[in-house]
Amino acid sequence: MSLLRYESQVRPALVHGDKSYHQITEDICRPVETKPSRLWWIGFIISVALLIFGIISVTTEVIYGVGQWNLNKTVGWGWDITNFVWWVGIGHAGTLISAILLLFRQGWRTGVNRAAEAMTIFAVMCAGQFPVWHMGRVWDAFFVLPYPNTRGPLWVNFNSPLLWDVFAISTYFTVSLLFWYSGLLPDLATLRDRAKLKWRKMFYGVASFGWTGSTKHWQRHEALSLVLAGLSTPLVLSVHTIVSFDFATSVVPGWHTTIFPPYFVAGAIFSGFAMVQTLLVVTRKVLGLQEYITIEHVEVMNKVIVLTGSIVGIAYLTELFISWYGASPYENFAFMQNRVNLFSPYGWSYWIMMFCNVASPQVFWSRKMRRNLTVTFFMSILINIGMWFERFVIIVTSIYRDYLPSAWSTYYTPTIWEVGFYLGTFGLFFTCFFLFAKYFPVIAVAEIKHILKRSGDNFKEKMDVIENESTEQFAEEQLHEH
Amino acid sequence: MGENKYWQHFGEVNDPKEAKKLARNEFAEELPFEGFDDESIIDAKAPRRDFLKYLGFSTAAATLAASCKMPVRKAVPFADKPSAEFVPGEAIFYATTYVQDGDVVPVLAKVRDGRPIKIEGNSAIANWGGGTSSRVQASVLDLYDTARLRTPFQRSKDGKSTEKTFEQIDKQVADAIKAAGGTTVLLTSSVVSPSTKEIISKFPNLKHVQYDAVSYSGMLLANEACGFGRKIPSYNFGEAKVIVSLGADFLGTWLSPVEFAAAYAKGRKIDEKNPSMSKHYQFEGTMSMTGANADERFTHRPSETGAVAVALLNAVNGAADAGGLNADLTKGINKAAADLKAAGGNALVVCGSNDKNIQVVVNAINNAIGANGKTINWAATVNYRQGVDADFAQLVADMEAGNVGTLLIHGANPAYTWYDADKFKAALKKVKVTVSFNEKLDETTELCEYLIPNHHYLESWGDAEAAAGNIYFIQPTIYPLFKTRYYQTSLLLWSGNNTPYEDYYKEYWKGKFASDAEHNKALQSGVKEAAAATAGAGSYSGSAVAEATTAIAGYKKSSGDELVLYQKVSIGTGAQAGNPWLQELPDPVSKATWDNYAIISTAKAKELGIDYKSNDYNYYPQKPVIELTVGNKKLELPALVFPGINANTIAVAVGYGRSNNIGKVAAGVGKNAYPFATYNGTSVDYNVSGVTTTNLHKSYKIAQMQKHDSYESRKEVVRETTMASFKANPNVIPESSKELTDMFYKNANNDFRAGATLYPDPNTRSHEIKWGMSIDMNLCNGCNACVAACHAENNVPVVGKSEVLRYHDMHWLRIDRYFVTDDKNPDNVKGVVFQPMLCQHCDNAPCENVCPVAATNHSSEGINQMTYNRCVGTRYCANNCPYKVRRFNWADYTGSDSFPNNQDQQIVGKLDDAVHVMNDDLSRMVLNPDVTVRSRGVIEKCSFCVQRTQHGKLEAKKANRPLGGNDVKSACQTACPTNAIVFGNAYDATSDIAKLRAENPQRNFHVLEQLHVLPNVTYMAKIRNTDEVDEHWAGHHE
Repeated sequence: MSLLRYESQVRPALVHGDKSYHQITEDICRPVETKPSRLWWIGFIISVALLIFGIISVTTEVIYGVGQWNLNKTVGWGWDITNFVWWVGIGHAGTLISAILLLFRQGWRTGVNRAAEAMTIFAVMCAGQFPVWHMGRVWDAFFVLPYPNTRGPLWVNFNSPLLWDVFAISTYFTVSLLFWYSGLLPDLATLRDRAKLKWRKMFYGVASFGWTGSTKHWQRHEALSLVLAGLSTPLVLSVHTIVSFDFATSVVPGWHTTIFPPYFVAGAIFSGFAMVQTLLVVTRKVLGLQEYITIEHVEVMNKVIVLTGSIVGIAYLTELFISWYGASPYENFAFMQNRVNLFSPYGWSYWIMMFCNVASPQVFWSRKMRRNLTVTFFMSILINIGMWFERFVIIVTSIYRDYLPSAWSTYYTPTIWEVGFYLGTFGLFFTCFFLFAKYFPVIAVAEIKHILKRSGDNFKEKMDVIENESTEQFAEEQLHEH
Repeated sequence: MGENKYWQHFGEVNDPKEAKKLARNEFAEELPFEGFDDESIIDAKAPRRDFLKYLGFSTAAATLAASCKMPVRKAVPFADKPSAEFVPGEAIFYATTYVQDGDVVPVLAKVRDGRPIKIEGNSAIANWGGGTSSRVQASVLDLYDTARLRTPFQRSKDGKSTEKTFEQIDKQVADAIKAAGGTTVLLTSSVVSPSTKEIISKFPNLKHVQYDAVSYSGMLLANEACGFGRKIPSYNFGEAKVIVSLGADFLGTWLSPVEFAAAYAKGRKIDEKNPSMSKHYQFEGTMSMTGANADERFTHRPSETGAVAVALLNAVNGAADAGGLNADLTKGINKAAADLKAAGGNALVVCGSNDKNIQVVVNAINNAIGANGKTINWAATVNYRQGVDADFAQLVADMEAGNVGTLLIHGANPAYTWYDADKFKAALKKVKVTVSFNEKLDETTELCEYLIPNHHYLESWGDAEAAAGNIYFIQPTIYPLFKTRYYQTSLLLWSGNNTPYEDYYKEYWKGKFASDAEHNKALQSGVKEAAAATAGAGSYSGSAVAEATTAIAGYKKSSGDELVLYQKVSIGTGAQAGNPWLQELPDPVSKATWDNYAIISTAKAKELGIDYKSNDYNYYPQKPVIELTVGNKKLELPALVFPGINANTIAVAVGYGRSNNIGKVAAGVGKNAYPFATYNGTSVDYNVSGVTTTNLHKSYKIAQMQKHDSYESRKEVVRETTMASFKANPNVIPESSKELTDMFYKNANNDFRAGATLYPDPNTRSHEIKWGMSIDMNLCNGCNACVAACHAENNVPVVGKSEVLRYHDMHWLRIDRYFVTDDKNPDNVKGVVFQPMLCQHCDNAPCENVCPVAATNHSSEGINQMTYNRCVGTRYCANNCPYKVRRFNWADYTGSDSFPNNQDQQIVGKLDDAVHVMNDDLSRMVLNPDVTVRSRGVIEKCSFCVQRTQHGKLEAKKANRPLGGNDVKSACQTACPTNAIVFGNAYDATSDIAKLRAENPQRNFHVLEQLHVLPNVTYMAKIRNTDEVDEHWAGHHE
């Protein structure tokens, strides 16, 4: 063997299929430049229909009042805030992948970061709907914004965790959007340069902010990415921490728990990765991007899932331990009677949560399971269900039976408008996602080229031929050639 | 010398008129709308300009028409100020008297800008204590009932009403009476008015029959048989050291509950230095509110009431026990008898039965224990109930026989309340002239030909002789709203006297006062009291006792199930069933609203296969439906299972199942149980034997406001014990409170209040006022008068059954009910605790810091304030309230929302008719103008009657004096007949609340003290007067 040859044996190629730079551009831009498939249209129409149903549901609620939902005097929050926390949780994976993994120089992230970031933005958009429309007088929602006003010396209440939410979510959304969009710029410019139709050229021309690909542009782009990654990293941790404060700072037994911040963040990453899996397993298939979003990506994300899922599981058990150890009869009741007791009115929801979030992800200890797409897809759905129930369990099973037994009530089934609102956010999410998949490159074209081992492979391919030749043959070839 | 003329152009000189006109016009020329009459715009002479003009006009018009949908609100100011005392915005209180079918309660009517809006108790009258009941509180809404008859009507046989004037109807009735022949009968509920009685007595050839919906004739006849005359005495529960009630719900519905509750409370008030209280035994089948307050309660079959009475008599007399009752019961009877004897006359036995024989035995017991003349006053007999069933049965027979030519009806509604209503209805058809003076088109009135509605009491002059010699006056508080007339005026007119009743009444009383000034004074105070006399012992004769005991011994022993027809505290006989406040008021024991139902025991539930321990039963409103059958009478009713009910007793409330004509509120609510009553030849019996029950395996939704019955041993919520335990360990509450707070916060100086928070002590005394409330759970009997008062005072919306079912009830104040049961036997109810629960106005309120928009905050006077305008409705505060007293406006219940037409939701949360009725312009007249009507989407809750505290402060300021500690009374406080609620300035050491707190250190507690929310409402523990030592009481000190 030649000393000239160096080949890393540790890391397999992140992009499969012997791609050239040009091929990558072609592959990723193809869905944007061709007519959408039948499947795309079916999905898009269903999403828009759901979105319309959601709009009708919310309109009804705004006209007739929050009584259009089955909330009551004891259970003031139900599906609304459950869905809010659930969507915010989902919105964590994108930024984690793009920011934290960028800082940790995890090359594999480039295959999935664009889609995950888009998912984050859409999920946060969906999440934001709930705290807004759950208000009794949504037309006065601007009261939560601290701005100089003519309503006397009235100011927002900075003690309220809900106000912290306003800041946390809006900051997170803004930074995520900037991060996502700045990453899109070079790709949009590529699309602009490839465009044959006038309107496409115009659209992508405007959208790419005059990107020329000059070295200065790239330099600034890289710097900006790092700055935004630095900004986003604490946000990933802070947003769900603050969301958890909605509960942790209250007096409600079952809410008033100091473990909530780390537990919520782990849960958010857990559910976020599950949602990324759900989307990417489908997207790679539908858009034919199996060579970019490879089985290795799926596996690596399943590893994150089993890790965060186990953190969440430990958190659940810690809560139970503390409810016993803390000797507060109310907290103990909230955990043991309202939740663990399967025969209590909502005991089933606790056990669905336990099964989906703690028991089921353990299959991912097996490498075979991690690399099985069917199992991955199924598990990702299960985890999303489990994480929805986690929020439902925290919110509803705590308040429906708290301090005064006289005030205990049940929050039975959601009304059609409550379900409609939730489905509507799915409509919003997928409508956005379908549009994104149609009009934007779902994989970061420019970034994925960084991790292409093309030059090394080329070298290796050519050297293989040479190395296998005898010296004579080589010399002859060289002579012949000249 | 001529005047100079100044002009600008020739037009002004030549044709000054035209010139002036032109000058006023904006356009000097005619506008060119020419040639546009029957052509299209394009063909007009100036199509573009015209087009633009019309476009402009039509757009503007369409915009105006489409956007200006603001509903027109009528406001009519006084053109002439009525009188000098009348100040807009100032409330005027008139002393008047609530009279409803014999029920009498002296009250003050609060009138704002000419509208009565609130009823308060008349505290000037000694033995009433200024209390009211929920029905009294709600009666102000009856004035504005949309279902009231608004004019005289003539009704044809097919039910068509024709409006008449008084002249027309008077002439028609007079002619008809003449033509009818036969006897003329006046059928009324018990008449308490002396002037009316005189009018009736002067009516030539008029037979007067008094009829009570729920009859007391057994008692009247028994008293007659015992030589007291056909009278009911006054009872003094306050003097009684031992009270035994045989099924009488004297705190809730029996005879005069407001008066009794006030007196009863005197014996229940505990002085901590020397704790003692009256002892109350209750023997009953179902659980009445009074039974829930008893110290010792024993259950028996309703048919055993007689046997219990006889056994008690025997025990008191030391005679041999007749046997036949179970051991527990016998033990209870003997214990009660021993206590009764030992009380030396300061004892009282009352009985709710309508059986003459049983009441004779009760009279014998009272005589034996020496109660007559001590706790029973025969010198001041009461007029609340005077109807004798036999008289009415005779009337029905006469009507059937065609002997009655004319029937005039006031107050009575036998077509609904008589046990055999069909017979009465058939008999009514044989009466030639039927006149009803009832205010509404009730079941009887709708069968009458002439309807001449009477005034509401708040529109009337009148008098009420509650007890002999004690006259309470009724005076109008508003000009009659409709074309109604005193029924007395009709009687006068038809008996040939043309004086209207108000004049007759004035004349009647003029002679009875020494001077006009004295008369005016009586009107002002609302009462003319008889000279204080010692209680009369009456002249008891025991001759009827032997016969009665024999008769009772002969009563058939029932082996099957038995039915008790009872009255709910809120609805009573059903006379006020059309009142949305009362319908939405929860029953004290069952906590159910808007329905009647069959109350069954746990044993019966097991027998019927009802799994009352299941989640489905306990947590959801769907309750199993059972069918009750007695003979050929059947009734399907939902069943509610409660502990402490006799195994074979089923209890159903009367007053429900009204006809549609009574109004949208009562129509279709519950089922009518009156037909189950039976008549034994002398009186109507409300206890029915031979009942069979079947589980129909159907379900029906009952709107209960409280689902969970146990307090899960949460001592920080309710503190309750027995007298023996309290005496043995009087300091349990302060000690355990310390223990609790220590558990959560302990430091060197042990200052839980200031220490257990990161924030500055919320108790910094920056102000001279600190509003607080103290609630004595020993005095609270659960009657809900405070809840109704809060409704009236604070414009609390009615949400209807469908919304109560969704736990959307809006009560600012609720009374929590917890059963105290044996650990081993949960069916053995030792006691029931009633805990009024309202905003605790925490100094460290968890609701305040979570509101993102600072809509709820703390006043410097300790009030947790709600700023409705600021509230955006996140409901976070409600979630974070440990007491769950915050209420959210889930829908536009009040019609005050800025969104028009948003009360017609169909798919989810369809609003009941009651909500729409409450939004009628007429019903809205009851609204308190001092309190904001909340719109949809905001949170509301108890404000400590901030409008009243504000008023009190302003009054003090106007008078240039400091605010007195007791100057302000909250609405719940004034409504309470037992003074269980005391409100005031806790910083003022002279105030009642400060004194109460200082004097009761052993019973004072805060609910959920350890949370460090620092409530401003304190409670005083409930003590049951038994010798039993409660193991749990001092439990955690061992």
